[in-house]
Amino acid sequence: MANEELKGNGPAVTLRERYQIYPGSPLPGYSGPTSQAFYAEDRRDPKRAYFALIVRPGFPPRTNVLRALKGVECPGLMTMAEWGVVDWPPANRKVMAVVYERPLGERVMESLSDTFRRIDEGDAVRKVVTPLTEALKKLRALGVTHRAIRPTNMFWTTPEHDRVVLGDCATTPPGYDQPAALEAMDSAQCHPAGRGNGSFADDAYALGASLSVLLQGRALFARQDDAAILRAKMLNGSYSALVGDARMPVQMIEVLRGLMGDDAQQRWHVEALELWLAGRRLTPLVNRNEKRAARAFSFNGGDYNTVRELAAAMAGNYELASQIILDGRLELWLRRSLDMAEKAGVVNDTMHMAVSGAMDRKYAFDYMVAKVCMMLDPLAPIRYKGLGVMPDGLGPLLAVTMVEGGDINLIAECILRSLSKAWVETRESYNPENSILESAFNQQKVHLERQSIGSGPERLLYEMNPSMPCISQYTVDDYVVDIRDLLPALNAAAAKNAGKGWPIDRHVAAFVAARVSFDIERPFFDLADGNPLRSILAMLNILALLQWRLGQGGLAPLAGWVAGMLTPAITSFHNREARKELEREVPRLARDGNLVEMARLLDSPEARQQDIKGFEEARQIWAERQRLIKDIEAGHVGTDEEGVKTARQIAALISVTIAFITTVLLLIARIFNG
Amino acid sequence: MAKAKAKPAAKGKGKGKGKTGGGAKPVNRIAFLLALMAMVPFSLPTLMVMVVALLPTLGAALAERGQSRYAWICVGGLNYAGLSPWLFDLWFGHHTIDYALHEITGVSMLLAAYGAAGAGWLIYLAVPPVVSAITGMTSQRQSVTLQAQQKKLVEQWGDGITHAE
Repeated sequence: MANEELKGNGPAVTLRERYQIYPGSPLPGYSGPTSQAFYAEDRRDPKRAYFALIVRPGFPPRTNVLRALKGVECPGLMTMAEWGVVDWPPANRKVMAVVYERPLGERVMESLSDTFRRIDEGDAVRKVVTPLTEALKKLRALGVTHRAIRPTNMFWTTPEHDRVVLGDCATTPPGYDQPAALEAMDSAQCHPAGRGNGSFADDAYALGASLSVLLQGRALFARQDDAAILRAKMLNGSYSALVGDARMPVQMIEVLRGLMGDDAQQRWHVEALELWLAGRRLTPLVNRNEKRAARAFSFNGGDYNTVRELAAAMAGNYELASQIILDGRLELWLRRSLDMAEKAGVVNDTMHMAVSGAMDRKYAFDYMVAKVCMMLDPLAPIRYKGLGVMPDGLGPLLAVTMVEGGDINLIAECILRSLSKAWVETRESYNPENSILESAFNQQKVHLERQSIGSGPERLLYEMNPSMPCISQYTVDDYVVDIRDLLPALNAAAAKNAGKGWPIDRHVAAFVAARVSFDIERPFFDLADGNPLRSILAMLNILALLQWRLGQGGLAPLAGWVAGMLTPAITSFHNREARKELEREVPRLARDGNLVEMARLLDSPEARQQDIKGFEEARQIWAERQRLIKDIEAGHVGTDEEGVKTARQIAALISVTIAFITTVLLLIARIFNG
Repeated sequence: MAKAKAKPAAKGKGKGKGKTGGGAKPVNRIAFLLALMAMVPFSLPTLMVMVVALLPTLGAALAERGQSRYAWICVGGLNYAGLSPWLFDLWFGHHTIDYALHEITGVSMLLAAYGAAGAGWLIYLAVPPVVSAITGMTSQRQSVTLQAQQKKLVEQWGDGITHAE
């Protein structure tokens, strides 16, 4: 595994002009379940060993973690040297790459089904617990969680197995590749993508569970299915479920019980670990067993003695669950067999709200079951019709589902039914972060309810995943995460696909709406308008606004693409001279890539007003002329009453003139003849 | 009763006001008649000749109806022109009743006056068709001009202006 043994093959791609990544040299030993590893080297220091992980296209990387961990050196963490977007020839697109310093040792465990020589307690403390405690401490100081602590994501730093380091945690959604057995009970019930960032307690649990595997030299649970492990955890606690009857060193039982405590509030934190490492012995954490019912509750063919077990079973069968709530059996069982009058009262209230509420019955009952499940097991995630998700995991879950082309209806229903609010309401302890989460979800519900372009699930995707690249067909290959990269990406797409569709599709619109920091709501309203002219002008205005605010030029292909769609906007001007002027100017501006000036020309309110006014005047003049022409054609001119009157006046004038001339001539004749 | 009587009077006044061409206000008409009556003792021969010779004019004035009454002017103008030589003879020669009677009873004056009145009628009847024909000819040219203006407007603003709102 030494650096000298490996070499990059073929052409390399360069990250930030420093790190060379070799697509022709994969390093499967460092790849994750979701990300692939490739040989990498530092141009400035070619002797140091590096590898690059390529984020699976479409998956949102944890940019907050990337930002926090870059350059951080810690005994329990692989050092992240750099991250960023690179051109990736094998996929013929851009991808996110994360460069790590390569541990010189191999992976601690290749697969959870492997068996290996167990680590004895002395080595476990020195080589595992000590460095990983440092890692957790560092992560907490940086304000991020790891969420990928498992034996298969740990590496020996040296071939001599001196110390372990945690592998990558930033290239997948939090907890995505974690086996459910190594996750705390709430997280274990979630969809892998919906586990959320979690807390340091989740990392502590994963460390404890991983430690139990390392100390046993095998994963006891490797051949069990997730549901069985979860049930075992519910019945006997995590320690018993993961350690079983295996003999553990006495010294390690304390730390394992402390880290694998099922109550996150009581679970050991970093300080407790440090104290333990310093030799201070703490009171072993004893798992509080769930209160058992005097009489088991029969549900869907199974008998359940605790509310947690029953809640998990109910979450898996909403139809039956709503029946036992509606017929009062659950309430009765809670009161009589468990003496939980308070919970029984809440079940009763929730049921009455569902029955008497204005909401559609089916939706009301679904909400009722979800809320009752949350109330029965306050440590559980949102469980909705078979979908388990933590409130802060809805974003990554939506991203992964959309990228993989899955059905997002259940996720959308979770948001529309305000299940996050119900989840916060049913927590036993107050957490200020939950209030922030709740207000964010209220806003996102508004986005989802509005289905127009720039809203809907696409908007939610980018609002809830700040690191999500725009997955529009026009930008997907350019890995656009920053709004500044959007216009260049559309420009590149224009060069390839000009003339096909609108540059602003639902994903581009949602991405812009979610990422811009300035007010852009108005053009989005117009964009969603049914009037094609308004929509086209809104599209132009959005692009022009981006160009103006971001100060980006050289967008000739994009401007050409847009210009090709502006014919309706040009022909909407009535004045033919104005049209000709626009038909001359728009191509010129397109060649200059000037969208701002194009928008100013086509959407100037003054010019539009002037055009409409001129058109109305011309219409009136034309109608007046038409009336005159019709009169002439109908022969009304000269033969109408007015014409006859005029003619008679002329006749009278002729007559009077003759009389006058006659009189004058006679007078003259008289005068000259005496 | 008084009111009922007053109404037609007012109506008649209104109608008189609306008349154009040969129409005159009743007050002016009365003043005119009074002036004529005052002149009767001094110009009885002239009056005799004119009453007889200008009978076609009088007939036209009485017979014509409608808003624009120009026939009596038309007939009257030429009627007077035909009579004027004899009238001048009367004025500049023997302004006596006998001479007036001599003229009235002569065929030539009546022939000339009435013939001229007939010519007046001819003018009155012939001019409107002639004027109409001339106007028709100029209107065709005007129509062409208007159509050209319309075409220019359409070229400048498009077919949209030809459609009603």
